[in-house]
Amino acid sequence: MIAVISRKRFRTGWTAFIILFFLLFVILPTVYILSYAVTDWGSIDTYVLNDPEMMEMITNAIIASFEIAGIVTLIDIVVGLPMAWMLVRKDFKGKKFLDTLIDMPLAVPTAALGFSSAIFFAQTDLNVPFALNSITSPLLLIILLHVVFSYPYMVRSLSAILVQIDQTYETAGRTLGASPLAAARTITLPLFRAGLVTGIILCFSRSLSETGGTMIALATMNNVGFATGPTLIGDWKSNLVSNPDLAAPLAFVSILLIILSLILLVVIKLILMKVHLPMGRIWPRPERIFSRGLFPKAKDGLTVFFLVILVLIPSFFIFTYVATATPTSFDWGPFLDSLVYSFLIAGIVTVIDIALGVPMAVYIAKNRTGKISEVLDVLVNVPLIVPTAALGYSLGVFWTGQNLIPTWDVLLIILAHVAFTYPLVVRNVAGAVEEVDPAFEETARTLGAKPIQGFSRVLYPVIKSSILAGAIMAFTRSLGETGATQAVVADAMTAPVYIVTLIRSSDYYVAGLACIVLIIVSYVAMLALRYVTNGRRSN
Amino acid sequence: MPEVKLVGLKKSYGKVTAVNKVNLTVENGEYVTILGPSGCGKTTLIRMIAGIIRPTEGKVYIGGKDMTSVPIEDRDIGYVFQNIALFPHLSVRDNVSYGPRAKDLDQEEQGQISKKYLEMVKLLDKMCMFPSELCGGEQQKVSLARALASGSKLLLLDEPLSALDSRVRVDLRYELRRLSKELGITTIHVTHDQEEAQSVSDRIVLMRAGTVVETGTPEELYVHPRNIFTANFIGETNLLEGWVKEVVGGTSSIELRNGGLVKVAQTNIKPGDAVVISVRPEFVFAANEGMKATITDITYMGTYWRIMASTEDDEEVSFDVTTMDGNSLTIGKELYLAINPKTAVLYPKPEDGVEEAIKLE
Repeated sequence: MIAVISRKRFRTGWTAFIILFFLLFVILPTVYILSYAVTDWGSIDTYVLNDPEMMEMITNAIIASFEIAGIVTLIDIVVGLPMAWMLVRKDFKGKKFLDTLIDMPLAVPTAALGFSSAIFFAQTDLNVPFALNSITSPLLLIILLHVVFSYPYMVRSLSAILVQIDQTYETAGRTLGASPLAAARTITLPLFRAGLVTGIILCFSRSLSETGGTMIALATMNNVGFATGPTLIGDWKSNLVSNPDLAAPLAFVSILLIILSLILLVVIKLILMKVHLPMGRIWPRPERIFSRGLFPKAKDGLTVFFLVILVLIPSFFIFTYVATATPTSFDWGPFLDSLVYSFLIAGIVTVIDIALGVPMAVYIAKNRTGKISEVLDVLVNVPLIVPTAALGYSLGVFWTGQNLIPTWDVLLIILAHVAFTYPLVVRNVAGAVEEVDPAFEETARTLGAKPIQGFSRVLYPVIKSSILAGAIMAFTRSLGETGATQAVVADAMTAPVYIVTLIRSSDYYVAGLACIVLIIVSYVAMLALRYVTNGRRSN
Repeated sequence: MPEVKLVGLKKSYGKVTAVNKVNLTVENGEYVTILGPSGCGKTTLIRMIAGIIRPTEGKVYIGGKDMTSVPIEDRDIGYVFQNIALFPHLSVRDNVSYGPRAKDLDQEEQGQISKKYLEMVKLLDKMCMFPSELCGGEQQKVSLARALASGSKLLLLDEPLSALDSRVRVDLRYELRRLSKELGITTIHVTHDQEEAQSVSDRIVLMRAGTVVETGTPEELYVHPRNIFTANFIGETNLLEGWVKEVVGGTSSIELRNGGLVKVAQTNIKPGDAVVISVRPEFVFAANEGMKATITDITYMGTYWRIMASTEDDEEVSFDVTTMDGNSLTIGKELYLAINPKTAVLYPKPEDGVEEAIKLE
């Protein structure tokens, strides 16, 4: 057996299969809908371009989507940077506790987060005690909601880079007479680009892609008329059967979202990496004043205050609601069914991700200098950037139009979820493989191990925890996904979609309970993630 | 003008004391090295002078002013880091002009200052390059120019040469002293390399386990170390154990473990006391009489042979023979070794033994 799979021909075949799977099952379906613009331009022309009302609706939704993502990213930077700074550069009591608090919203699926934030911020007639109960603008509400769930990503990616920037640079600046603020501004911040790029792209694309939470928040405030790109796709997809004319607008919105998000990705990268800001002047006196006394304390205080008000309370406000609302009787059956359904899908998706993602990651990491691996490395990011609703719709059209595989709902949902979770596993594992000294495996080979044994006995034990971490990430993302699920199968009954349905039919109390169950389930998964990653550190 | 005075300076991390009540004065314009093995607290000390670390106890005075709680940027110091720490996103010129920029001097003045100091370290032609394009020695020169360009008259060098190749290290140390003296600035230089300390300093401060062992000119510390640790740490030495048999005239006769006799021109230890003799390898000779020894090892060192011999008194003695004379010696050969009485130094035998007294921590 080992002899067979160690043959050169087998290994080449295996590599080809992995790459083929990636291209055919992940990349192609993700962007397939772009071809609609070529094959069916006529119907886009008829149903979209020549329908001013439709055009306006689409333009407004797309503009809203990008506006929200832009503002959210900006807010994340402004409130996230001081927090990252605090976590990395300062020592204080309760730092570990604060560190854990940051990650808490990650444990809450965005569907639950949408409901929880909406009943806290928005003006509703639910009369929940302590609720802010004041926001009436749907745009503002969605911005606040997206800050809640993207904030941890921003803080995490900023602090990851900040840790790597040698603090000596700042100290050197201060020995030359620059105040702490001036040194941070002129030395550390410019060195920060990479972290900023990752953070911005992560937050921007997550906000652009978010569907479930947004739909729920909008439904909670009884909004009519306001939509983002992804919610438009979700709504239209469910009406597609009764109104086939929506196929063209659906395709059009998806194409716009895919193209714009990819262009934006490139533009952000180019601007941030290539454009050198002119060296800023230093204002010795004012910057000195802002570096001393009350100012730094006030800044840190505000930072924590924002975390609590903008992120933590909205995330967990749902507990207040459920604790104080009048219980209504209901049937747990459908929700439990949907939960089982979601788990099943998330489980299968994770298994596929690992089986086919790990070899891909190893291939990319080990052939860093090769052209093919370079291209693959870029392509892997595409499904992470494309809004999942657009991805789901594109993928649905691709597979239902091909007759290559059966079009069962479960299968389509699984394929959609694989498309956007697969990159998570690849990213995680590729990063870990790159850190492993190839000398380990080479040593094993000199001792007579075949390549596959080199992997299983040497590489695998080292990267095991990264594989697990990637797997848990993929699992939770799949469990919480709404946009792609709805866009691929309109009446799919996964847990987050079921919660959307509950809120649309004003079953708030039941929705609240369902959210809490989902939070607990995800929290357990998060704990597992922590356990695994901490285990890696102590090793 | 910057004279640096440390009074009872102490830094503890929990139960560990990194620097323990150090008193030290560095005169204006003096070049002082703080020398010691790694972990002796020398870097902590210089960082407290710079204000990067806040002392647990004690005071730091610079130019007569109490600077203990003054932040780094207001101390007016130049600091050169062991890891060089040039700002990677700024060109060589912008690195050097960072100090003037932090004071918000006008553009033209910033340019003039950076040119002046880059010329001083002979790197004017590399002005537009980025730090990553320079080699290690050049980088550290730029970093030196950057520290000087801030206009400070107090230069703190934290192991400035440790990260460099040995050849570059030797060249740069003369450069450091030259610039420091040319500009008339006070310099405090931290190093673990005793050769480096000897070749650049006006005065050496030898530290061990958080305290100052001894201070003195390089020559004093080499020729008349007051402490057995100093004798062993600075240069190389042979330590022979014995006791004072008699003191006659200007010399003491020391009887070694198995009865061998050695004369030392030092009389402050009374007969009957146990002593340790320190004698440098270059002051031990092959002679017609003296300690009987057998050669155990011969190493070629370029200008001389380093010979290891085992004496009848169970001591390992190393001595040097110029390369021209080395041919006649072979391993296993027996010979007599003599010591120049004026070059040997006597110490009372340390209570905890010699090993403990010369241990690096």
